[in-house]
This record gives sequence, structure tokens and C-alpha cells, in this order.
Amino acid sequence: MLPDIDLRIANMIKALEQVILPALPRDQRLARDQAMLVAGHLRMIGEQWKSALRYEQVALDDLQGLARDLLPGAPAFLADDLAAALAMAEACDRASVTAIEQANIAIGHAVDAVILGGSDHAPMPSAAVDRLLDYALRHARRERSWFKANRLDPDQNDLPDLVTMLAETN
Amino acid sequence: MPMAPASRGDVDVWDRSEMEPRIRHILERTVRLRDTGPYRPKSDAEVMAMLSTFFAAKGLEEFSISDVERMSGGASKEQFAFTLNHREDQQGERLVLRMDPLEAIAQTCRGREGEIQSIMGNHMPVAPVRWFDADGDLLGQPAVILGFVRGVTQPSEGGSAGVSGMGGRLGSLIDRLAPQYIDALAVTHRFDWSRAHLRFFDAPRAQSNQAAIWQVNWWSQVWWDCLVEPVPVVALAERWLRENAPVCDRPMLVHGDLRMGNFMFEEPSGKFTAVLDWELAHIGDFHEDIAWTMQKLFGAWGDDGIFLVSGLLPRDDFITQYEAASGNRIDPVRLHYYEVLNAYKCAVMDLGQAMRAATASNNHQEVVLTWLGSAGAVFLNYIVQLIRKG
Repeated sequence: MLPDIDLRIANMIKALEQVILPALPRDQRLARDQAMLVAGHLRMIGEQWKSALRYEQVALDDLQGLARDLLPGAPAFLADDLAAALAMAEACDRASVTAIEQANIAIGHAVDAVILGGSDHAPMPSAAVDRLLDYALRHARRERSWFKANRLDPDQNDLPDLVTMLAETN
Repeated sequence: MPMAPASRGDVDVWDRSEMEPRIRHILERTVRLRDTGPYRPKSDAEVMAMLSTFFAAKGLEEFSISDVERMSGGASKEQFAFTLNHREDQQGERLVLRMDPLEAIAQTCRGREGEIQSIMGNHMPVAPVRWFDADGDLLGQPAVILGFVRGVTQPSEGGSAGVSGMGGRLGSLIDRLAPQYIDALAVTHRFDWSRAHLRFFDAPRAQSNQAAIWQVNWWSQVWWDCLVEPVPVVALAERWLRENAPVCDRPMLVHGDLRMGNFMFEEPSGKFTAVLDWELAHIGDFHEDIAWTMQKLFGAWGDDGIFLVSGLLPRDDFITQYEAASGNRIDPVRLHYYEVLNAYKCAVMDLGQAMRAATASNNHQEVVLTWLGSAGAVFLNYIVQLIRKG
């Protein structure tokens, strides 16, 4: 058996918590804090890595949906860029996390331009603002669930686990 | 939500040049130096060499630096405790060097921090300011050197502090800490900055929306300078903040980051020994401080299930006690505006500046920055809730 990713993550956490941290002097607080945070990051990565591609796909699908919603009301001089970014996203390699991330960034820039309305700050239709806020709530909930294990969210008990969150998007 | 083009007030809400000059200097310096990284955490020997150069330039004679010790805590500055002896002080003093890494979660000015903290030491307990090097001319990087203050930010027993003091519980000391906390806010806001001859601060005009727009321009420039990945609701929040910028009747000193984790106290008395982290201080609208401390992330839930502002007081009690102590009346409309601004600021720090610093490897603790960045969506959620409420 080759050492798989889950096994190596578990090994690293054990080494940090049972060997490295006890060996660090008590007064080296920054080193100890960082070692504990590394263990925390590894634990989160262990939960996330198998779903990373699916997570990026869901995020891109949702942002594409928002872009399509904004397109009809976008000023003409911004709509072309938004349409081009949408076309790029539709053509991107959906098996590649990197390609999806790049498509997400390209659409994000075009959406930002529409929100700010160019140099004239063209007003956004109220329906478009509502769609944007709906999207933002989904986006925030998705990211909060993705990072629920950091335990920083005051409302973490209201969030689903990763599997449930991704299943909700199907 | 009003989305009509803004027109109110004597400041053009879309004029991005409307910014406090020293803040502009700091933000421009950040961008200019960004590509000189990556930043390497300083070793004890490097710190001793930097301090030796600094104290020699300051004219100290027969000085020695000993017991250099790296400190933890905070998400922004690289900090070392050390002991300084010199001819005029043979007994020596324990000091703290608090210096800028190349980039941190908040890019701020050590000159402003040193100046205001030095003055406020006459009004409340703070760490005494011994020296500061606003642009790092002598130390090589901007820094402030403070007297070492003893105390804790969370009770030693049962405090359960989270990263940067968030999510902790103050337990049985609440009754003793809460009045001092209210007093610190009130004293800050009552401080007559107009007579203080501040070198590193400028004040926005009274009876104008300039105070709000200066803040929006500060944080939106950070966002656009740092942008790693666009977040639509951050752009929407910027637009909302411009189009809804309120008038500030009377600009006051704003601490900018007064919350659980940023005051130190001694045990078992609970007496404050220092109000910490003045790096975000500015002259502006006091509602900004009130909205900041009321954020959910900086509070805690009491045993009875009631949310406690900064882990200390239920929201209504906090407002009542603050108004009595300060003489200020909290305007719900302005409070709401600054709740949106603060959620925006936090999102910008967590998802913008922290991620840029981590991506560029320009900090001494990137694992902390990415950990805090993973909480950024909490603020996106707040922004939506708050804008919808408005």
C-alpha cells in the first residue's frame, strides 16, 4: 500500500501533537501556537481535500448563475466583459481546480465591474441587488460550512457539515 | 436598499482621493515594498543588532540588551520582549519591541500608534511608549518600543482564549471588568484631540460625511490593492457604504479595535493594566467603536444564553452604560452604518490584506493569517444581514 493523503495527514498531526509540541520549550509560545495551528490546518485539510474539486465546481456554478442574472441589467459597456467571462467559465476544464479558480476570478472581476457601475456608477436595478444578496448569503454559508472546523464562527452550530452542504447544492 | 447615485454632503462619495494623508502614505508604502519579500521572521540575534543600532543612534551610552524573548499574541506585529540597561538606568527595564513585518492583516502606522498611546497614557492605563520609529529609519522596519506591562487578556483559569483573543470567556471577573471597559471607551471619545497637537493624525471636517468616506476609501483601497479573489458582496458593500455615508456631527478619537482581547488586567483583582492595540486609532465617528465592539465575533455567550458585548455586557446594558459614561447618544442609523463598515473592514482584512500577505509570504506567521482568513465568510454573512436590515 502506498501512503495515501489521509494517512500522511494523520501522521503529520500525530507527529506535531505528540512529538514536536511536547519538545518545544513552554516559553516558546509563538512556535507552540504556530505548531498547534498547523495541526488545526492539517485537520481541516483532511476533511476538505476529497471534496475540493466539487466545492470549486459548486462555487463556480453559483457565480455563473449570478452573472447570468446580472447580465440583462448590466450597462452595455460592461455586459460584453461579463458575457466573455461567462463564456470562458463555460469552456473551462471542470476537472481542474486551477482552471475553475481562474474562471471564478475572471467572472468575479466582471461582476465587480457591474456592481460598481463603471466610472458613472450606473445604478443597479433593485432586482439585481436582491439576486446578489441571495447569492452572497449562499456563498457565505458555503464558505462558513467549508471552514466550520476552525470553530471561529459564532453560529457554527447552525451550519451543516461538508457532506450535507455539498449535497444541498445538488 | 437605496441604490441611487450619491449626491449628499460636501465630499464626493466616489472621490477615492479623499483619505487621511498618513494613511495614504502607509498604503502606498505597502504596495511599493510588497515585492521586496518574502519576509523572514527575525532571529533573536537580528533583533539585538537592530536594537543596538537604534539605541546607539538615540545616544544611549554603555547600554546592553539581554533576555530577548519572542512574544506570541496578536495577528499583526512581530513582537519581542527584552531588557535594556544603560548608563542612566543601571537597574534596567523590561521592554517590548513591536514591529511591522513586511505585510500583516492590517497595515498601520507605528508613528500614529506611538503618538496616541503616549498621550492616552495620561488618561488611562496603557503600555508606556518609550520610543517609536515611524518609518523604520533607524531600526530598518517601523516599530514602537513599549514598557512591558504585566497582566492577562483572558482569565488564567477557564478563559479558553481563541486566536487573537476572540471567542474567550471572562468568567467571574465580568462585573469588575465591564465598568473599566465602558470607562475606556468613554474616556477615548471624550478626549479633546483638537488640543493635542497630533503630528501623525488629521481630522475630518465636522458636520460632513468626510469621516465616513475617509474610512471607506482607506479600506476599499486596501481591498483593491490586495485583491486575490473577487467577492461580489464586498464590492456591493463598498457601494452601499458610499451611497449611505452619514454625516459626523463632531469627530472624536476612535480607538478602532477595542474589544475582548485588547485590554489587559491583573488577577485576581481584575484591575485594568493596559488598553492595548491603538494601531487603528483615528479621528472619526464614535459609532465606529460602538459598532466594532458589538460584533458577534468579538463577543461571547453568557451561561444564561444571552449574548455579551465583548464578553462583558448584554447589548442593551452596554448601550445604557456607555451613554451614561460618555454623554454621547447612540444614533441607531449611524450605528447600523458603522456595523456595515466594520463588517466590511473585517472582510477586507481577512479576505484581502491577510490573504495577500500570506500569498506573498510577507509575514512572520502566515498560518495565523490563513486561519483568520478562513473566518472571513462570517463577515460576508453579516454584511448581507445588515444591508437587508437597512
